[in-house]
Amino acid sequence: MSKTAFRGLFLVVLCGAAWLRVPGLGLRPMHHDEANQAVKFGLLLEKGEYRYDPVDHHGPTLYYLTLPIAWAAGKPTLASLDESTLRFLPVLFGLGILLSFLFFAKDIGRPAVLAAAICAALSPAFAYYSRFYIQEIPFVFFILGFIGSLWRFLERPTWISSLATGVFAGLAFATKETSVLIFGAVAAALVVTRFVSKRPQEGQETKGKMPVSRIAAALSAFLVTAGLLFSSFLTHPQGIVDSVTAFAAYINKSGTAGFHLHPWWYYLGLLTYSKSGGLVWSEALILALACLGLLAAARKRNPFAVFISFYALLTLAVFSLIPYKTPWNLLPFYAGFLLLAGIGTVFVFEYARKVHFAVPAGIILVLGFAHLGWESRQANVRYHSDPRNPYVYAQTSPDYARLVRRIDEAAAVHPDRERLLIKVVCGPYETWPLPWSLRKYARVGYWTEAAAAGGFDDAPVVVASQDNAEKLDPLLGGKYQAEFYGLRPEVLLTLYIRNDLWENVIRRKL
Amino acid sequence: MTRKAIIFALASAFVVLIGFDTLALSQAQDTGKEELKLQLPKPMFIGTPRNIKTSNLEVITGKPRGAFFVPKGTKLVSLKKPVTSSDMQPVIGELNFVTDGEKSGEDGYFVELGPGKQWVQIDLGAEYALSAVLIWHYHSQARVYRDVVVQVSNDKDFVAGVATVFNNDHDNTAGLGIGRDKEYIETNEGRLVDPKGVKARYIRLSSGGNTSNDMNHYVEVEVYGNPAK
Repeated sequence: MSKTAFRGLFLVVLCGAAWLRVPGLGLRPMHHDEANQAVKFGLLLEKGEYRYDPVDHHGPTLYYLTLPIAWAAGKPTLASLDESTLRFLPVLFGLGILLSFLFFAKDIGRPAVLAAAICAALSPAFAYYSRFYIQEIPFVFFILGFIGSLWRFLERPTWISSLATGVFAGLAFATKETSVLIFGAVAAALVVTRFVSKRPQEGQETKGKMPVSRIAAALSAFLVTAGLLFSSFLTHPQGIVDSVTAFAAYINKSGTAGFHLHPWWYYLGLLTYSKSGGLVWSEALILALACLGLLAAARKRNPFAVFISFYALLTLAVFSLIPYKTPWNLLPFYAGFLLLAGIGTVFVFEYARKVHFAVPAGIILVLGFAHLGWESRQANVRYHSDPRNPYVYAQTSPDYARLVRRIDEAAAVHPDRERLLIKVVCGPYETWPLPWSLRKYARVGYWTEAAAAGGFDDAPVVVASQDNAEKLDPLLGGKYQAEFYGLRPEVLLTLYIRNDLWENVIRRKL
Repeated sequence: MTRKAIIFALASAFVVLIGFDTLALSQAQDTGKEELKLQLPKPMFIGTPRNIKTSNLEVITGKPRGAFFVPKGTKLVSLKKPVTSSDMQPVIGELNFVTDGEKSGEDGYFVELGPGKQWVQIDLGAEYALSAVLIWHYHSQARVYRDVVVQVSNDKDFVAGVATVFNNDHDNTAGLGIGRDKEYIETNEGRLVDPKGVKARYIRLSSGGNTSNDMNHYVEVEVYGNPAK
């Protein structure tokens, strides 16, 4: 494949990926995790405050990287932010993942990189989470950057490759604590690769020695990058210590999975086949191509193909063995499978050509890719919040958007407008994403128990979880109109609007 | 003495109950009515999503629906009748599922219409005096469909002569007027609507998503009536 053809086709793939990721970024109601991150980012945006939380929320990169996007969009406050602005960050990194595959063109060839990019562009999992304001997509980008620079560094330890390795490792570490698992898997895969892959022929050995100065540069770059971010750019040194002590909390979390407890085959099951409520989802084509990539790696023993095979299998094994599982945690190992799928696609064509089956194989692949693209579109547009979509996980229901609209309608006809007093009486599980959705209202109070809220006579609008609603009904009944809304599957919120305000709301709607 | 009094009271209560029941039945017979015999699908879930009590939701009793009386000779008039919809190309299922007589809550028995406000319309083929409409949106999960409105007409475009026989859109979201009926949780019993003998050829059912997702579903709609004289 010529360089020009490759560039043209890669650009087409990139545009296709953007088409699946960019439109309608505000369609899906904010997931409670996204809302949590958004409110934390709001503090950084408005007050310049960020403190690493060793118990929750993961690392600081997400917030600092969102700053330039919010500034460029002219959104200086939390209230002025919207879903599309925040989700533009994962979109950019989602496209960056495709670009990061270019790192490996020299190692696996342009056709394989192109095929891997097609798989990444069309993969419903990657497309869906590229529109999700959480750490995962930037994390995968940093991991791929780290792997690419490390591979170059091991091949030719230049200053640039050593610094890039350190910076990407630092960014990955400052994004998610699970980066240490990835570093471990990368190290193990490198060791195995050294023994398994073909020895370089004479004249093709690693160019240059491995000078201690370059290793030190990489380590320094890692420490400086992670240190600056965890210490909130040296304003909170405790953050550096917390980044290490955080492992105790995360180890504990991984063992007490609760709602997130899933069997070891959870990730493979999600990707292979999922059927629910009349909908069927599958990324089996990518997995099948990745299996062929593994076969090609085993037969040809191309060092990078061998390395990425072990990386993908090891990370899959590690993440599958941890009881705590969320669907987006599959992305770090699945990125390895995408590269293997690229290698597998080329392998298929090499074999198909030999048996004069290239055209039918091409048609089958095009149909398979078209189906993946259709699934991605369905996952992001029609079924963006539908529990039957396997990538939807504890997602806020579209019914919740009706609750927020109703509060907006009430505020619009109340003399206090956005200073309308709203009392929220919900446990922590039912509270989010209310703080995000009600961010423009200046007077919102949150309580976990009705008794602690100090009376409701002054509140024209009250939101309550079901357990609190049972206690509130005798207090508010008769004076308020009550409506219920789905927050998440099987989780409901009750909205109370004082009768006088309710009448005004309805009058305006007629 | 006390035991005798209790037995006497219980026996009296039993006699009174039987009497009321017989009276109701005889009244139904006197007015030319009979009990509507329904075949319900098997339930797909047990219980409800917590104890929801709001003024716009039907009280959940957990008990079976009582007998419903219709004029003698009432027949199911919607079976296999043609169905049209605001979403003519559903992603899941076929529009003819609405009147195919299959009421199972399992996958493969419902049609899924797009997000937001959508409707299905059944053409009964002739004008009927309607006695009952039974609606199963989706009964394999406890959920509430929003803004459910049932209208009937002899005009297939529902411009003239439209009668609303059920409406729980309490804030006029659908723009079909404020409804006074209550929202309800879907079960295998379906929702029984009493059209009170209104005469019409077409029946249109609207909804606007549900508490679980933004889609609209129909497992089955049964319309009962007699040919209009």
